[in-house]
Amino acid sequence: MVSQQDDMVSQQEDFGANPNLLAAPIKSPVDKFQLLPAFLKVRGLVKQHIDSFNYFVNYGMKKIMEANALHKVTDTIYLRYINISVGEPYVAIDNIKLTPQFCRLSDRTYSADISVDIEYTDGKGQHPTRKTSVKIGRLPIMLRSCNCVLNGKDETELAKLGECPLDPGGYFVVKGTEKVILIQEQLSKNRILIDIDGKGRITASVTCSTHEVKSKTVFFMDKEKIYLQLNQFVKPIPIMVVMKAMGTESDQEVVQMVGRNPRYGDLLLPSIQECSSERIYSQEQALDYMDAKFNFFKSCSIQLFITSFSTLKEGRAKSILTDVFLAHVPVKEQNFRPKCIYAAVMLRRMLDAILNSDTFDDKDYVGNKRLELSGQLVSLLFEDLFKTMNTQAVQRMNYAMGQSNRSGALDFSRYIVTDIITLGLEKSISTGNWDLKRFRMHKKGVSQVLSRLSYIGALGHMTRISPQFEKTRKVSGPRALQPSQWGMLCPCDTPEGEACGLTKNLALMTHVTTDEEEGPLISLCYSLGVEDLAHLSAEEIYANDSYLVFFNGLILGKHTRPHTFANAMRRVRRSGKIGEFVGFRTFDDFLHDGLIEYLDVNEQNNALIALYEHEAGEIDRSEITHIEIEPLTLLGVVAGLIPYPHHNQSPRNTYQCAMGKQAMGNIAFNQLSRADTLLYLLVYAQRPLLTTKTIELVGYDKLGAGQNATVAVMSYSGYDIEDAIVMNKSSLDRGFGRCIAMKKQTVVRENYGGKVSDIIVAPQRDKDGALIRKNMQILGADGIAEPGQIVRNNDMLVNKKSPLNVDKDLKTRTYKDTPAFFKGVEGETTVIDRVLIYTDNNEKMPIKFIIRHVRRPELGDKFSSRHGQKGVCGTIVNQEDFPFSERGICPDLIMNPHGFPSRMTIGKMIELLGGKAGVSWGRFHYGSAFGEPSGNACKVDDISNALIQKGFSYSGKDFLYSGILGTPLQAYIFMGPIYYQKLKHMVLDKMHARAKGPRVMLTRQPTEGRSRDGGLRLGEMERDCLIAYGASMLIFERLMLSSDPYQVQVCQKCGLLGYYNQKLKKSFCSMCKDGENMATMKLPYACKLLFQELQSMNVVPRLKLTEA
Amino acid sequence: MDPQQPEPVVYLCGDCGAECPLKSGDVIQCRDCGYRILYKKRTRRIVQYEAR
Amino acid sequence: MSKGSFTSALNMPDVPMGKLPDHLEVQRTRVVCKADAPIHTEGIQFSGAYAAVGVDNSNPLDKFKRDFKIDVIRLTKDEMEFDMIGIDAAIANAFRRILISEVPTMTIDKVFMVDNTSPIVDEVLAHRLGLIPLDADPRLFEYMSEHDVPNERNTIVYRLNVSCEKGSPRLTVKSDQLEWLPDGSKLHEVAPSYPGEQQKTYTSFSGSQLEVSRRALGVKHKDITIARLGPGQTIELEAHAVKGIGKVHAKWSPVATAWYRMLPEVILLKEIKGEEAKKLVKKCPVKVFDIEDLGNGEERAVVKSPRACTLCRECLRGESEEQIELRRVRDHFIFTIESASALPPEVLFKEAVEVLHEKCDRVISELS
Repeated sequence: MVSQQDDMVSQQEDFGANPNLLAAPIKSPVDKFQLLPAFLKVRGLVKQHIDSFNYFVNYGMKKIMEANALHKVTDTIYLRYINISVGEPYVAIDNIKLTPQFCRLSDRTYSADISVDIEYTDGKGQHPTRKTSVKIGRLPIMLRSCNCVLNGKDETELAKLGECPLDPGGYFVVKGTEKVILIQEQLSKNRILIDIDGKGRITASVTCSTHEVKSKTVFFMDKEKIYLQLNQFVKPIPIMVVMKAMGTESDQEVVQMVGRNPRYGDLLLPSIQECSSERIYSQEQALDYMDAKFNFFKSCSIQLFITSFSTLKEGRAKSILTDVFLAHVPVKEQNFRPKCIYAAVMLRRMLDAILNSDTFDDKDYVGNKRLELSGQLVSLLFEDLFKTMNTQAVQRMNYAMGQSNRSGALDFSRYIVTDIITLGLEKSISTGNWDLKRFRMHKKGVSQVLSRLSYIGALGHMTRISPQFEKTRKVSGPRALQPSQWGMLCPCDTPEGEACGLTKNLALMTHVTTDEEEGPLISLCYSLGVEDLAHLSAEEIYANDSYLVFFNGLILGKHTRPHTFANAMRRVRRSGKIGEFVGFRTFDDFLHDGLIEYLDVNEQNNALIALYEHEAGEIDRSEITHIEIEPLTLLGVVAGLIPYPHHNQSPRNTYQCAMGKQAMGNIAFNQLSRADTLLYLLVYAQRPLLTTKTIELVGYDKLGAGQNATVAVMSYSGYDIEDAIVMNKSSLDRGFGRCIAMKKQTVVRENYGGKVSDIIVAPQRDKDGALIRKNMQILGADGIAEPGQIVRNNDMLVNKKSPLNVDKDLKTRTYKDTPAFFKGVEGETTVIDRVLIYTDNNEKMPIKFIIRHVRRPELGDKFSSRHGQKGVCGTIVNQEDFPFSERGICPDLIMNPHGFPSRMTIGKMIELLGGKAGVSWGRFHYGSAFGEPSGNACKVDDISNALIQKGFSYSGKDFLYSGILGTPLQAYIFMGPIYYQKLKHMVLDKMHARAKGPRVMLTRQPTEGRSRDGGLRLGEMERDCLIAYGASMLIFERLMLSSDPYQVQVCQKCGLLGYYNQKLKKSFCSMCKDGENMATMKLPYACKLLFQELQSMNVVPRLKLTEA
Repeated sequence: MDPQQPEPVVYLCGDCGAECPLKSGDVIQCRDCGYRILYKKRTRRIVQYEAR
Repeated sequence: MSKGSFTSALNMPDVPMGKLPDHLEVQRTRVVCKADAPIHTEGIQFSGAYAAVGVDNSNPLDKFKRDFKIDVIRLTKDEMEFDMIGIDAAIANAFRRILISEVPTMTIDKVFMVDNTSPIVDEVLAHRLGLIPLDADPRLFEYMSEHDVPNERNTIVYRLNVSCEKGSPRLTVKSDQLEWLPDGSKLHEVAPSYPGEQQKTYTSFSGSQLEVSRRALGVKHKDITIARLGPGQTIELEAHAVKGIGKVHAKWSPVATAWYRMLPEVILLKEIKGEEAKKLVKKCPVKVFDIEDLGNGEERAVVKSPRACTLCRECLRGESEEQIELRRVRDHFIFTIESASALPPEVLFKEAVEVLHEKCDRVISELS
């Protein structure tokens, strides 16, 4: 079987011409690596997103327009779209070219106009009017796509535009925030999937999707009989009824179509019997039967698409069969035969599965999945909005025609509302909610804010794949590592916890294809000898030597010599005549010219792929069809940072993938001119001593996120338990781990319309020239705080005043002070880094303050190596107390050796060895994944030899002297450089304590959380401990006195709460109407609240006091 | 930015770096290149730091 | 205490009087570096540890005076290597620790930023300035305590005033662009209300600092990069250096590092001849061993330069483990000082001794 696929394909090098040529030395396997940089140069790291967006802009949009080109109001009044195009991004008001950096800084959307050429009539019998370049809305432009100003720019040009040359693009800038549309994982559409459903029934299902309709067709077997299930029918329809309804009235023909094997006939018999027991023999009877089962309510939404057909009750079944049932198989001129054959193939696959359970499909198999990219998602959105816009235009036109007093000609272009598309796209991309009623799509979180915590975090975000299942399902199947993931999805990079295994990441060289033009390919197939099904009888389909040819889920026809056909197709592909992503499936292997070839998951099943050329000796060389470019490319971008990942326990690599995204470092070359809400930068970021090829490819060596620390693996001081690390104070003094935290605070000078706006005034001074308020010190002459000033908590940032009235006369207009203050932590030295001023679209004037804080590492800050080994700083020790080696080297940090046995991160040990050899020889060593055979990773033996030559022990263990005693240590210490990352979790942002503070209004209990200066909760488990211990007074104090004590008056007679009358100085019970028998007691306010709430719903809680 | 205080304050253009004196009510735009984001100039007041 | 038949074990004939048996002597004076771990690293401190053998383990002053020796091996402007023989590890370590953290230097501690439009942010620029070694003798200056007024005896003022012209290429600001201001700060605490008004500056020098220093006070290394400026960027600042010690901040540490190692001793336990000897010589990356021609066509390995041993333990790997012993002499320290301040290493060492001396004086005076 052959099929064209739109899906993931990774790259393999096809090495073989024929077996004889194999003997000739091709290239040494190391040379293969040269392909990688070349490949990434051409492709970029996030080419999937950009390609798919480009496809949408260049082709997808046109297709949507063509599908919805004509809009008729009456027969004579119509609107026709002729052409559609997207321009360059520019500012709407004064036609300045937009740059992404400008949009980021000024909270704008980086978008370009969509313009159309239209033709319309005004109903007066004149010739149609033509208009070109009518703007119908604005489309957010993906960075680095073909419409982006950055497209094709070199490094200096990018720098001029304020852009980082290493930034991959592939995201949008909407209202100043960078938004990524995540890759969505989906089950393959238009593919037959044989599975067992929740009730244990065998099912064959097809999710059909065409431009017009999306539907799901399910065949299932219940009590040996096969039924069709479609949402449009209230009950399952026996399959034979369906076949008859489609015109295949003869039972024999159905059996022939399924296959001549008698066992198929046996299995089909119950279904045939059921059909005849219902007395359905003809097409009309079958259609009548189905009409009766029609589900009116569920079909309402589908009505939209089938209104063109008859809406009469009788016609429904037929129209559903045409438009919904197996929707991707086209029905031309009421010819149902292709659908019949397709249904028969589904039946055959089902029956095959009953006879042989091996033929079940695996839903988790990567080949059965498709990835939906930003282009496709935007295209859905655009299609929906475009349709809405047109229906509205038609409606307005109708309304305008009804208007009697209309003057002049009707101009259709005036009724096109451009805001629908502009706002719709902007809203969806900025919220991430894809709510498309038309397509019954309600997805949340489709787009996310691009994480700019680190360069690698941003890259990782671009390759993330959001799962098709909800995260809550406790299933293991979809979470498990699939062998077919090889080379397509990174086996390491997945989050821990609920989304584990569901959220995935692309591997380094994965390519996601976009649609390919179908027409030429179909005709190519026919000319290569595919026999059209239409000309074949049912009997001929399963003749012995015939093989079906599938094309994108569609049966094209059959071919008698599949190998010849596949080889011919392949030859065409390799000669570059058809797209390189047209995948194949046959049962054989092939030999061709030495080219690089993309293989998709399904084609991989028919290929024998070697990792290395020399490995080929173990199996018969002639059987090998392809050779992998580099095994390191099976990992993703984030996992590619780990040196020697193949020596680590696998979860450690997964942990590092999560942590690498939190590491501080350099974000981009333009990091200091960005205005993010929060930005962490490392002051002296370094490039890792032990690198990998991936690091060089993605540019991590230019935008590193860590420092090479000399680490001694030993126990020291006891402050290093539980993965804590001991740090050298002198190293910190010299700048190790120093970071800058930049926060943004925005103050808006409001505009109330009509020249009425807030005013900003210079700081007021009294007659001595002193400032009237002390916290105005940092204000400049314009009343705005100046950059470079040290800003403390409650300092004034903007001396702003708001108008109280809107008097035209400026003299009578009165203002009140509405200054903006800096909210910061007491005792911190923060500095104003930059102040940006601009005017936004609404004539408001936002003022952005970027406030910077330089921090040195302190106790409790989190650090991590690149092997999932995180730890907090346990103590900081003076350099003189640190151990030193015979060469005078003193470590920067000390790590406890207990971190190794249970974690089994051998990669970290090799990193230390390699790093040590690297510094002593003054070069970088490599540790690429699975790189030893190809020379992309240094072997431990070689590293040891390098160490010995420099006078170190081969084991990396040094003779150290104690810094405190001065005597040698009792063991040789494993010491050398390891790349350490500083993670964003810092004590300064987390530490919190309170004695007294704010309380919640309702319960009068302390507030919760650090941001509200909340209390620290004594929880249930802590309470249990205190109960078990018998510390009753402590519980009393914690739970009442320190929380919400409240004094109440209790009536001893009725047991209800009374009140205290301040005038009479006497307590009173409002129930008993007297003040006798009142007692005073303390209880938690929450308890009193509960009593009152119970009372309000007619439950009376009574307090029985034993002792007043 | 008070009408009583006509003295223009100098800002810097975010694109070309040109100095750009503005008075209250002026359009926020560079006069040389038309760029619409301006930066405030660094303070001339002396700020004291510890070299640690 | 019985009658006459009592014989002390000390009086037995095979006990060497006044001398330790070889294995104990090795234990007392050497650290033995075995292949897996060093042994006897701590040494024996107790003076009466060997009293039972009749050996005095104390180190009285006169003996120390007689045996203590310092040999200077190498002395350059910034680096010194010397042997310190006949002293306990604790004292040698004390000198090392003091050198790193308690010998004072003059270093920039306060930075008055007037203008900085460079990409290096103010705090980081200040930090970088602090780490620049200055060429100022700390002995000429006093410590500045919290309430002291900065004057010519406790503060050195530097000015950095660089800008990169628009249209010119990028400019690298080097440490030699720090300009010494012998007359103190030129910055006014409050802007002058009229031109030429005499205003309080950040220092109150009573005269030129040349009186104190007798020479210009620059920086030690002239090629340290402070910042890089793009066109149109400016740095204008004043940096005030004060006296301090490394314990407070590493920038005051007068040394890049100071350390010692114990004198290596390599012992051939057996005679190694022929091929094996050649192998051994080849094995050692620092050429500790050599071949000696025995004359009769035979060759044997000898230890040529044990001092070069870096303790890579290559010679102990494999079969030769029993044939060689690597040792360190417990009271012989090869001391290295790498100066990173105005003072040469030998002076720094003297200063360190002085600091220790003062500490001892303080202990004595506190005790008495």
